[in-house]
Amino acid sequence: MEAEEKKTEGRFLQLVKNIWRNYSVVVMFVLLLLISGAFAPRFLRPENLLNILRNTSVVGSIALGMTFVIIAGGIDLSSGPVLATSGAVLIFLQRMVNPDGTPAVPLPLAILACCAVAVTFGLLNGLVITKAKLPPFIVTLAVGIIARSITMYVCRGATIMGNNIPQFTQIGSGSLFSIPIPFIVVIVMAVLFHIFLTRTKYGTYVFAVGGNENAARYSGIKVDRIRIITYMLVGLCAGIAATMEMSRMAAVAAATSGAQYEFEAITAVIVGGTALSGGRGRLIGTIVGFIILGIVNNMMIMLNISPYLAGAVKGAVILFAVLMQRRER
Amino acid sequence: MTNTLSMRGISKSFFGVEVLHKVDFTIEQSEIMGLCGENGAGKSTLMKILAGIYAQEAGEVVFKGNVIRKGTTPLEVQHLGISMIHQELILLNELTVAQNIFLCREPRHKLGLIDFGRMNEEAAQLLNKLGEKIDPRRQVRDLKIAQKQMVEIAKAISFNVELLVMDEPTSVLTGKETKILFDLISSLSQQGIAVVFISHRLKEITDACHKVTVLRDGNFVATREVSEVTARDIASLMVGREVQESKVSDFAGDPNAVMLEVRNVSDDMLKGIDFKVRKGEILGFSGLVGAGRTELMEAIFGIRRPKTGKVLVEGQPVTIRSAIDAIKADLGFVTEDRKETGLVLCRDIGENSNYVFWQKGRGFFKQPRASTANTKRMIDRLGIRCSSPRQLVSNLSGGNQQKVALAKWLLSGARVLVMDEPTRGVDVGARQELYRIIKELAAEGVAIVIVSSDLPEILTICERVIVMHEGKITGELKSSELTEDKVMYYATNIQAGEGHGG
Repeated sequence: MEAEEKKTEGRFLQLVKNIWRNYSVVVMFVLLLLISGAFAPRFLRPENLLNILRNTSVVGSIALGMTFVIIAGGIDLSSGPVLATSGAVLIFLQRMVNPDGTPAVPLPLAILACCAVAVTFGLLNGLVITKAKLPPFIVTLAVGIIARSITMYVCRGATIMGNNIPQFTQIGSGSLFSIPIPFIVVIVMAVLFHIFLTRTKYGTYVFAVGGNENAARYSGIKVDRIRIITYMLVGLCAGIAATMEMSRMAAVAAATSGAQYEFEAITAVIVGGTALSGGRGRLIGTIVGFIILGIVNNMMIMLNISPYLAGAVKGAVILFAVLMQRRER
Repeated sequence: MTNTLSMRGISKSFFGVEVLHKVDFTIEQSEIMGLCGENGAGKSTLMKILAGIYAQEAGEVVFKGNVIRKGTTPLEVQHLGISMIHQELILLNELTVAQNIFLCREPRHKLGLIDFGRMNEEAAQLLNKLGEKIDPRRQVRDLKIAQKQMVEIAKAISFNVELLVMDEPTSVLTGKETKILFDLISSLSQQGIAVVFISHRLKEITDACHKVTVLRDGNFVATREVSEVTARDIASLMVGREVQESKVSDFAGDPNAVMLEVRNVSDDMLKGIDFKVRKGEILGFSGLVGAGRTELMEAIFGIRRPKTGKVLVEGQPVTIRSAIDAIKADLGFVTEDRKETGLVLCRDIGENSNYVFWQKGRGFFKQPRASTANTKRMIDRLGIRCSSPRQLVSNLSGGNQQKVALAKWLLSGARVLVMDEPTRGVDVGARQELYRIIKELAAEGVAIVIVSSDLPEILTICERVIVMHEGKITGELKSSELTEDKVMYYATNIQAGEGHGG
């Protein structure tokens, strides 16, 4: 009898351990929700929760692409500046009007151009990293600095206001069945990306390249091509993020649009349990990761804590999340 | 005459495997001692114990009448007068010649700052003694390998060396440079310095040494005066008295059904390699470490780009520029180092076994049903012991990892399978299983090429053996004429006429 009891208890412990190992970030997420609710009852109101989702979607979009880059063993420090550059392109195209007041460039075309610019930056990152064999950290840092500088130049360092087009504003500020459109966009992206990552050959190769580049090469996988694809993907994500951000702000600020977004995105990926060393990771973790960051931001406001302290809290969250994951391995 | 050094009853194990068993080794003042043995005989381990890099489990080391206690650090050993020059030179490329020679012992000014003037002067004096004109202010990275070796020797001499150990110093030198090194060794010996000289080239041992000590499988075999033995005698000592004969019968399939033909593959390492392997044949590649066997296989598989060379699969020429070309030509390559180049350890068995299958198939999606069935079939066929196909490869034992690495190529439908050191780091039981699988594959018509440094392994499974030495094919043996010592003659490339009798 006793032995049997012990056995079931052992099994229960095992189950708890397994849940923790696979879903530690989800457990943390739920804990954070409960704690937040306890400290600030207003926090749990639906309009506040939906607002959090809307606010995190821009960084969330970048974080989805960043997950691919990090799983493949890379990093992208240029996403924030690239968001600004492609956003500037969008605003400039959107400001062009015919003499009769109608837009000179159709909105979908402007959005497409914005994404194309961002993807081109990704291609540039990928080509330099793989062909010149330079560390991703340095290449994307440099490309980011270049992108920011170009934005500053074309905007003359100022904030450029866009035209007020209702359809355009909808993208960032509208809702569908009371769910914020940016969040719907991010979820649709996440589903597509998840299928790509887990169901297609290329997704598996992304893991293989990040896990052991040499073994991937000896297995005939075109390692350079895979890595370039991941950088183009995060570029596309930055382009989509730029569209949502420009729509909400209706303006591009040369110096501050997208500033620090690359770090927020990387934080979300790490908090979500993707290994910085490459080869392991999940998109669901990233989603929970960026929502956690959104909650932290939101709570800072709710609890009337100086926004200047947000960085300190986020830094602590990163350390805590990584420490928890390290313990389990 | 007193022994400068005497090592007695030295034993050492790594991970429970004994690599040295009660080995004795002595050397006298001014003596040049050759140290020989097959790969894994324990030469380097013995010398690393002497140099204080490893600690022995049993036995004692006596140098000039004093016991060197266990746990003496390499630096302390150097101060006692024993220096070792490793196979891979361990100089710091970014520093100058003089900085390397006096690393951590730099002459200083009164204020404690390094006195570069004096350091460079002293380094120049040391190098002059060796008859070398290297500017001590040059960066080591700009030197040729032979010059780097001279810097190492100068460093050793700066410690007032009395015993100098050189681990395969000639493997990276040209003929002329080797000659210069031997002159230097002989002049060091005249100054009273004892030299231990490790080499795979038996001719060098008989040319340059006074005595030779042979190790085999971690055991001391013999120490002989070089004047009393021939290179062939040394080879016999290395292999052992009870020379093993092949247990495999000759290839009985169609000799005209050539599956893979390689013509004139050359690059800076390989010198005009030609060979053929037939449908269903198991061909072995033997040779000592550094003979160029792995490089040859990498050249065939498109990992290295040879300067010249042609590859034909079933008589059809194929152009191979990268691994994917080789895969499309139905070649498979189970690499030597499964952790580095064979497997993605942080992914599961299912993914690892299907990578090449997916490459060969069309389409964008993974065909989950076919992939899962593939993995299950391989787990059954190869007897991979695992909890499920989703188990991470990093959690498998060496033998099971090797089976996953093999599964990847079986699922690709390879018609030619190159296996480089297929049983390295695999325990005895799994090794037998792998041999059985290899034979089964050959029976199914796969042409198999096995690169192995393990002679008994070659004798156990290969129907024909090609022996390489320094990037060249030096011999070819059918299994009916295959003996360990014949392979060893070719592998050490004893001159024709000396090796063939009997």
